[in-house]
Amino acid sequence: MAMDIPRRSTARTGTRRSFLHENPSVLWFMGLLGLFTVVVTVLSEGVGLGVMPTNLIKILGMTLCLCLIAIAMDVVWGYCGILSLGHFAFFGLGGYAIGMWLMYARTEINIRDNLERGTIPPTEAEVSEAVAAQIFGVVGSSELPLIWTFAGSLPFQLAMVVLVPGLLALVFGWLAFRSRVTGVYLSILTQAMTLALSLYLFQNDTGLRGNNGLSGLQNIPGALDVPQSIISIWFFWASAFMLGVGYLFFAWIVSGKFGSVIRAIRDNEARVRFLGYNVEGYKLFVFTITAIVSGIAGALYYPQAGIINPAEIAPIASIYLAVWVAIGGRGRLYGAVIGAGFVSLLSSWLTGGGAPNIDLGVFRIVWTEWWLVLLGLGFVLVTLFFPKGIGGLFDYLVRKQP
Amino acid sequence: MTTLLEVSGVSVTFDGFRAINNLSIAIGEPELRAVIGPNGAGKTTFMDIITGKTRPDEGRVIWGERSVDLLKYSESQIAKMGIGRKFQKPTVFEDQSVRDNLAMALKNKRGPWSVLMWHATAQDQARIQELAEEVGLLARLDDRAGILSHGQKQWLEIGMLLAQDPRLLLVDEPAAGMTPSEREHTTDLLKRAAKTRAVMVIEHDMEFIRRLDCRVTCLHEGSVLAEGSIDHVTRNQQVIDVYLGR
Repeated sequence: MAMDIPRRSTARTGTRRSFLHENPSVLWFMGLLGLFTVVVTVLSEGVGLGVMPTNLIKILGMTLCLCLIAIAMDVVWGYCGILSLGHFAFFGLGGYAIGMWLMYARTEINIRDNLERGTIPPTEAEVSEAVAAQIFGVVGSSELPLIWTFAGSLPFQLAMVVLVPGLLALVFGWLAFRSRVTGVYLSILTQAMTLALSLYLFQNDTGLRGNNGLSGLQNIPGALDVPQSIISIWFFWASAFMLGVGYLFFAWIVSGKFGSVIRAIRDNEARVRFLGYNVEGYKLFVFTITAIVSGIAGALYYPQAGIINPAEIAPIASIYLAVWVAIGGRGRLYGAVIGAGFVSLLSSWLTGGGAPNIDLGVFRIVWTEWWLVLLGLGFVLVTLFFPKGIGGLFDYLVRKQP
Repeated sequence: MTTLLEVSGVSVTFDGFRAINNLSIAIGEPELRAVIGPNGAGKTTFMDIITGKTRPDEGRVIWGERSVDLLKYSESQIAKMGIGRKFQKPTVFEDQSVRDNLAMALKNKRGPWSVLMWHATAQDQARIQELAEEVGLLARLDDRAGILSHGQKQWLEIGMLLAQDPRLLLVDEPAAGMTPSEREHTTDLLKRAAKTRAVMVIEHDMEFIRRLDCRVTCLHEGSVLAEGSIDHVTRNQQVIDVYLGR
């Protein structure tokens, strides 16, 4: 337990040292993230030397978003002991919320351009109708669903990025924690939640275009003539910035007495109750705040992916999230970042056809098919032999007594 | 001495087994009380009921001057009212330092927001030092609780109990696994605590109880078999038959 637990100079005696001073891993992380951002920027196609293609920049930006949801998962699972298998639902909801604005505003701009070529300027109602017909034609409808009422407003949809995942987590968490559902039962419940949401969104009459999802999200209204090579680097910066902010925020939360209490809840929640702490309130707080951060991560991810559909929030996505955190190392934020970054980049490489297939003579290992086997095997091996995950290796580097 | 806690006519049944049977006990403030009895007499269940962990089928548990009905409150609310508990098996948070364990137990606001913004005041720090000294763990403040010896964990838990500054301390087998000198220290500590608060100690070790020098209640099959001074209780024929004689 050398550097995995961030701490604040709360209960310490003597001189009060700064938060960063007490948590060298946070400083290291910030430095490396900054360095990474600078290197990628310099090599990028859009603003740098042109060594890195736009596609790769997008993959790296998306990976940073996955790292952000991974640290949220680490706080809720690794620190507070709630194995949520539904956090990708919040990620997806964040993506849908921003996707609605992207799609609506872009379609509106196109429609106006077209209509204004005519002799009579179009009325607002005409524009609205044409936008609805364009967006929902694919599901055989031409009416704008109620939830799209304010889709043209960026501030409103940005608020939804935070509010929708936050409220869902608050209500779901309140019901679950209040009934003292814990352990594997809670995990199953969160799986059910994300499955139900995904099935619901698959329906055409949900108002979110069913299995078509929202598409063309890489085109940013107001910057439609900016090339993707530039937009990709904007989003890469935004993702790096939010990961940095999220990391600092969670490192601050899990340090000090709050972190002490949630780790105590993880280890023995009954005992924490007898100390007079309202365990359910703490769990709800952590569950909701991590859901909100997941939503923000999703809102940055999907404009880079360009498309979101209900398959994105299928239960398997949330299970992957748990696997990343387990492989990276639970209960340490940088472990979650390492796990998410390493596994998702490896996955992109292997499934993207970048890795050479292995010919064993009698048998051919095709990575696009065998990747899942490798991941499963890796998960089992890490769980059995390295319960501290990849992040645990740092304990060997920094051997100091607590 | 005024009555602090009054348990009256409480019964609880687990799957047909009557663990507590029409039990009535009262404890005053300040008072030191020892509770003895054979295994299965319902001693731990009795503590579970007071602390809100187990709901009785019938009976009343009345607390304090304003006669609050404890059965309506949750574990954490009861703890905040001033009932602290030490478990039979020492349960400290092994992954955290002795200091963090004590800091968590300190009597401060318990809400998530207050805890998030909490910074140890000089007063808090002094209190932690003082408690650590009292339970003999001053030198171990920054050690992980997991590496303490069994007896030291017991003490840490007692320290956490004192940090809560409760009006009623429920202490389940504090002397288990302690060396004779540690036991002596523990008796002193409990006797000192009982000067200002109510302390209820469950113990099997009669030598330990004799040293506590207090009123003794003997439970058997979920109700009170005998109550009074140690000599009175140990001379009771029924107590000898079901407990001491064995």
